[in-house]
Amino acid sequence: MAIDKQSQHSAPSRSLVGDRGWLPRIRLAGQRSLTRYRIPFTRRTWFQGHAVVNPRDLTRQYKLDDKRPWFWIGGLIAALIIPILVGTNLALTAATTFALYAAINLMWMLVIGTAGIFSLATLAVVGASAYLAAWFSIEFGITWPVMLLLGTLVGLLFGAIIGLPALRIDGLYFALLTMGVVELCRVYVLQSRTFGSATGGLYGADTFIPVAWQLKTPGLILGYVAAFAVMLAMLGIYRLVNGQRLGLLLATARESEATAEALGINYQRARFTVFLISSAGLGFIGGFYATYFKGASPSLFSIDQVMLLFAMIVIGGLGRAEGAVVGTGVVVVLDKMFTEFGPIRFIVIGLIMLGVTLFARNGLFGIRDQFVEFRNKKKSERRSGRTEKGGEPLPEEATEIRDKDQIYFRRFDKRLRDHLKTLVTPEVIEEHRLKPLGQHSDPLERVLNYFRGAGGENKYVLYELKANTEYKIIVTTGEKGIPPRDVDSTIYTSKNEALHAVFLKRVQDLMDS
Amino acid sequence: MAKIVLTGYCDRFSVKPGEDISFMVSAEGTKTAEVQLVRLIHGDENPEGPGFIEKEVDGPIDGSHSVRKQHTQAGSFARIDDPDTRLALGQAFTLWAMIWPTTPEKGRQGILARWSITHDRGYALGINGDGQLEFWVGDGKKTDAVHAEVPLRPRQWYLVAVSYDPKSGQATLYQERVETRYGNLLSKITPLDMNSHVTEALRIRPADAELDFLMAGCHDHNADRGDFIGQLYNGKIDRCGVVGRAMSRADLDAMLQEVTQPADVIAHWDTSEGYSDKGIGDDIVDTGPNKLHGRGHNRPVRGATGYNWNGRDDCFRLAPHQFGGVWFHDDSMLDCQWKATFSMTLPDLKSGVYAARLQAGDTIEHLPFFVRPKKPGSAIAMLIPTCSYLAYANDRLGLEFPTSQLVSAHVPVFHEWDIELSKHPEYASSTYDTYSDGAGVCYSSRLRPIFNMRPKHRMAGTAVAWQFPADMSIIYWLETKGYDYDVITDEDLHREGKDCLSPYQVVINGTHAEYYSERMLDATEDYLAEGGRVMYLSGNGYYWAVSFREDDLSCMEVRKLDSGSRAWQALPGEHYMASNGERSGIWRNRGRPPQKIVGTGFTSEGMDESKPYRRMPDSYHKSVAWIFEGVEEELIGDFGLAAGGAAGIEIDRYDLTLGTPPHTRILASSEGHSDSYPRVSEEIAFNFPGQGGTQHYHIRADMTYFTTLNNGAVWSPSSIAWGQALPWNNGDNNVSRVMANVLDAFAKPGPLPGAEYHAEEKHWK
Ligand SMILES: [Fe+2]
Repeated sequence: MAIDKQSQHSAPSRSLVGDRGWLPRIRLAGQRSLTRYRIPFTRRTWFQGHAVVNPRDLTRQYKLDDKRPWFWIGGLIAALIIPILVGTNLALTAATTFALYAAINLMWMLVIGTAGIFSLATLAVVGASAYLAAWFSIEFGITWPVMLLLGTLVGLLFGAIIGLPALRIDGLYFALLTMGVVELCRVYVLQSRTFGSATGGLYGADTFIPVAWQLKTPGLILGYVAAFAVMLAMLGIYRLVNGQRLGLLLATARESEATAEALGINYQRARFTVFLISSAGLGFIGGFYATYFKGASPSLFSIDQVMLLFAMIVIGGLGRAEGAVVGTGVVVVLDKMFTEFGPIRFIVIGLIMLGVTLFARNGLFGIRDQFVEFRNKKKSERRSGRTEKGGEPLPEEATEIRDKDQIYFRRFDKRLRDHLKTLVTPEVIEEHRLKPLGQHSDPLERVLNYFRGAGGENKYVLYELKANTEYKIIVTTGEKGIPPRDVDSTIYTSKNEALHAVFLKRVQDLMDS
Repeated sequence: MAKIVLTGYCDRFSVKPGEDISFMVSAEGTKTAEVQLVRLIHGDENPEGPGFIEKEVDGPIDGSHSVRKQHTQAGSFARIDDPDTRLALGQAFTLWAMIWPTTPEKGRQGILARWSITHDRGYALGINGDGQLEFWVGDGKKTDAVHAEVPLRPRQWYLVAVSYDPKSGQATLYQERVETRYGNLLSKITPLDMNSHVTEALRIRPADAELDFLMAGCHDHNADRGDFIGQLYNGKIDRCGVVGRAMSRADLDAMLQEVTQPADVIAHWDTSEGYSDKGIGDDIVDTGPNKLHGRGHNRPVRGATGYNWNGRDDCFRLAPHQFGGVWFHDDSMLDCQWKATFSMTLPDLKSGVYAARLQAGDTIEHLPFFVRPKKPGSAIAMLIPTCSYLAYANDRLGLEFPTSQLVSAHVPVFHEWDIELSKHPEYASSTYDTYSDGAGVCYSSRLRPIFNMRPKHRMAGTAVAWQFPADMSIIYWLETKGYDYDVITDEDLHREGKDCLSPYQVVINGTHAEYYSERMLDATEDYLAEGGRVMYLSGNGYYWAVSFREDDLSCMEVRKLDSGSRAWQALPGEHYMASNGERSGIWRNRGRPPQKIVGTGFTSEGMDESKPYRRMPDSYHKSVAWIFEGVEEELIGDFGLAAGGAAGIEIDRYDLTLGTPPHTRILASSEGHSDSYPRVSEEIAFNFPGQGGTQHYHIRADMTYFTTLNNGAVWSPSSIAWGQALPWNNGDNNVSRVMANVLDAFAKPGPLPGAEYHAEEKHWK
């Protein structure tokens, strides 16, 4: 057996592996009493994490289950503070726009992502609420808190009216229908005197900003903080709807409508409920819009605004709250902060959209997963290029094998198989055919012992269909309680014939390995 | 139409005319089954033999019976007897236990629980889906829980506890590794922190589950099965208890140092209480004031090494307090507890092997049983090795035992019944299998369907008829040759001792009488000493020491120890049987090699090819030559239903050093065995190459003969395959001839043939 020569021959190229830990590890001794404090009214704890045992040195380390809440908190605090610190009017109005659009987009995400309704009337709901709240304020002198309430009610009503057809007609038709609604609203307010066709908008409503602060920095700061609060509220609604029962129901339903129905989930009703909730949210935003701008403008109904919102969602990635917020941020910063670049901004926004749709499957926030997936793919490609199938593992692969015994087994098994392959000759096969059971020549015994000792998974065995006259080959699964499966439909009429057929299959697998 | 499945079992192995026997049947796909009493004659369908033969007999069970599906509770657990519901626990409390989990990663498991899975009510200290210690509560609508930081490690001792105060909702988990040099899988040098102490305020207050407090399981229910126990725990539970206040960390630290009854104790289970020199029962004793005793179901394994085992005292009889481990297995099952489908008072039937044949559509099932005579009337007794049937009952060797192909040197041949069995883990396994947590199966009972105790059955791994269907070849031969014989079973022999054998001139062993209790061995030895005669037709017989509880012969216990051909090995300190306190393992290692009783003992096994015997020179001595009367050939048994020869499968050998009587003759020995017949492990001290049939002369079956006191004698062909060679050519063959010569002589009282040829030899040549 030319093992020595072979081992030198087949030694794969090896490089050092092992990463040094640069970040300090949070070690928690098991002796220490740990109290997990919960977030009030939930079962969640503040630091949702768990201890893990590092397989390399058995150290117990603390690991956060989900780092996202911390990113959220950090990100939101930064988003709140930076515009105030910058303090320019431009920055503050841009930030306010961002907060409002982000709020709208969160609600839109509920409609599209959670309820699966392709409505383009999102902004129209905001507009309708803003117009009515403003009009009531001007005509009847209602104060800003009532405007918020009224906006919400209008949103709910509007939502109910346009939501009903969504249950009856398919996605694309519904999208066109809502586009029609938007255009109808726009044309209406442009021509309606009541709604300020002459002044290019309806102005003069009550506002929450004190008169003295109006159009001054403190007023803008107050406006921004208020808009930010609205965004936080919408984020809360988004999480409640999407993360709780309703969202889970709809997620199940999206997987399979049949399963959902079998489980007694009323898919259409759940969708409609989500649509109503988001419409009410949008109505509230509309009311806020009217109190912030002291009125409403027809631009709320313009298609280009809808398209801009759409761009935000696409860039951020559908179905993720952080996507809606960050996507909005990106577009608003480009749109409002770089006005000196003119229309080129929109080309840049378009290019980003194109890039995201072409290369990132799930928007900006899908990039990380996509990257990991890509790395894994590359990894397995590279590994399979460097090792022979079933051969000795590479150092980087060995680090991932828990039972190190298996590493030696693979080395040994490879060499054994290489040797056994040289023993399988036509004479040996013929010897087995003539006498499958009993004492055989040394080469055949060695080959048979290898076959007999192989693990229980994917092992060829026989199944006797009819006593002594009908056999077929099946394959064991090696798992308790999981019956063997069929290989093919060949029937062997004697046990010896069947035994030899199994032998031939095993030889085939050996030679192929 | 759904496939019809019929299966069942009898409430007893052997029955005499006038006694009652019940049949428990479970059926799928049919509501009725046709029942016919049959006498079984032959069970092996090998075309070299006569095939399957049964004879219909008129019986009171014949006719159509309604059948239904019957369910089985698998898994061992203990139920606490708590008539005053003291464990409903409205107040602050602590649950604590010394545990040694074996499969913490397997999913949710209850350790100490009064928990309804279906209604989310009650409380439980157990293991969660992530393998962590968890305390969970439920109020009937919602559940809440606190879990430890790291998963429990398998096979390590821990003190675990939860202190809970419903007023504040605060639950504190306590998880501390118990330091022991012996019982833990990992030594203390492994730098693995296994401890955890977590406090969390729970939002939910437990509502009373209104169900029994359990160890190692939780209450479940479904419409089909009704109530059953689920979330079964794998591993040992040692001392444990319930205390009526939230114990502090310091209180529990003190328990870790020494387990004592704490103040405000509600229940204090001293699992090592109630042991006797004669074994351990199912009761788990509460030594606290309320006497809330527990009772094990599906026989948790008692007397296992405990958290405080010192490694020096190796038996629970020596230091009971160190052996408080109660080992629960989620797939242990000893009694299906099915309702009787039909019963009968046995009519006056001739002794023999019978079965209730069930039929529905194309599905046929036999439920075999053994009819003893009302009073022993024949000279010949066929001893059915039911202990060995139990040992092999529902073996899953071919499907699950990775080295079985190396042992058998044969590609397994599966059948419908193997697949069906694999769908029914609840019918439990054989003593050749392991429980789901890797421990060897040490209990086997007959109160369950036994798939391989059926005519026509063939063992997958060896591809031959094994045990019951193989023994039917001896029955066929006795029937065909017209012998008048009685059937008795191992269970009868164990119960009645020597009296069971004494009425007979000769007792015939089955093909593989491997498992023997001390009482069976004693009875056989005494019977032989008093002039009895034994035809030892087994290979690898009188091998494992087994035991029964005095009050329950339905369940046999065995521990596979450090030697012998064994499918598993008992842990250190667990070599003594809980059923009666005796050491298990092979009889040879207890000073009673089979050679002392039947002249030969286990030497090798293999399933590729059986071989013939060749007559040995000693067989020409007139004192034994009569055994070969009418046999011209030198080769005996170059045919047979078990791999084509009379010597094979498992074979035994003469050995003076192991107590073969010195006057024993080797009449014939088998030859030409393959290297797939290696020497058995107990023969090997140093291992080296050349232990196989082509290289080592020990690989042979010896046909031996010796006389005992009072005209007694033992004749031993010492091979499993012998009995299966008898039916070849309809019983007309030289194996049959030799067998008949011996049986005819043994069945006659008085001096044996050839006894007069005892004089000193004066040879001229
Ligand atoms: Fe055996």
